[in-house]
Amino acid sequence: MTDLHTAVVDICESQLDPAAALAFVSDPRFGGIDMFIGKVREHNLGRVVTGISYDLFEPLALRMFEAIGERARKEIGGPMKLYIAHAKGDLRIGEIAVIVAAGTPHRDEAFRACRLAIEAVKHEAPIWKQEHYVDGDSAWSEGCSLCEEHREAERTAVHGKKSHAHGHEH
Amino acid sequence: MKVRIALFGALRDADPHGFLELEAPEHCTVAELRELLRDHLHEHAPHISASLVQRSAFASNDEILHNHRTLPEDGQLAILPPVSGG
Repeated sequence: MTDLHTAVVDICESQLDPAAALAFVSDPRFGGIDMFIGKVREHNLGRVVTGISYDLFEPLALRMFEAIGERARKEIGGPMKLYIAHAKGDLRIGEIAVIVAAGTPHRDEAFRACRLAIEAVKHEAPIWKQEHYVDGDSAWSEGCSLCEEHREAERTAVHGKKSHAHGHEH
Repeated sequence: MKVRIALFGALRDADPHGFLELEAPEHCTVAELRELLRDHLHEHAPHISASLVQRSAFASNDEILHNHRTLPEDGQLAILPPVSGG
């Protein structure tokens, strides 16, 4: 499908490119473009971070990006171009880990498509981050379970809490 | 049947090769494989917590395989700990 671009970018070979994302979702039909860029930041949960390693199960990640694109298309219900790319490998502070960009006729659909896609990438795609700290320690981030029984248990456990409530922060 | 399970994220610490091989009965379900894996890790990689295995999902290259599913015929699987992309 030419309206959807999905990619896993090995950081040893290339970098994520916001200009390429913008070019992909640009179209004479579209007056609204929204782009989310996720970068490696230097602090997390009170610890000084020096870098992040991203591990991906690539074939399934790409399939999921495509499924997320289809879900966004159904949600928006009109013309849209969507770009989803995630980095793989060892990233330093300030480097780009993920880009999601959506182009649509108006801003509302662009914001909604972009939000839907980045939240789904973060919560559903088979991607793992290992943080490296200034003291030499490293840790895999606590994440969202993809196991249906466990997801259900988490939903029940946090029922009633506000906002992004599934038992952990990210 | 011989099952090969690719490891990701925190579960890579279970084996330096990046995968595990287990012997599973024919028509084994994902839930049964989860029990086999938990026992295997308890013996061979006791630093991996059983709760991490409980919170992990199994998958083929194409889809998540929930507990009631039987294993793919080619015996190729991945185990996916809780995800943290972005």
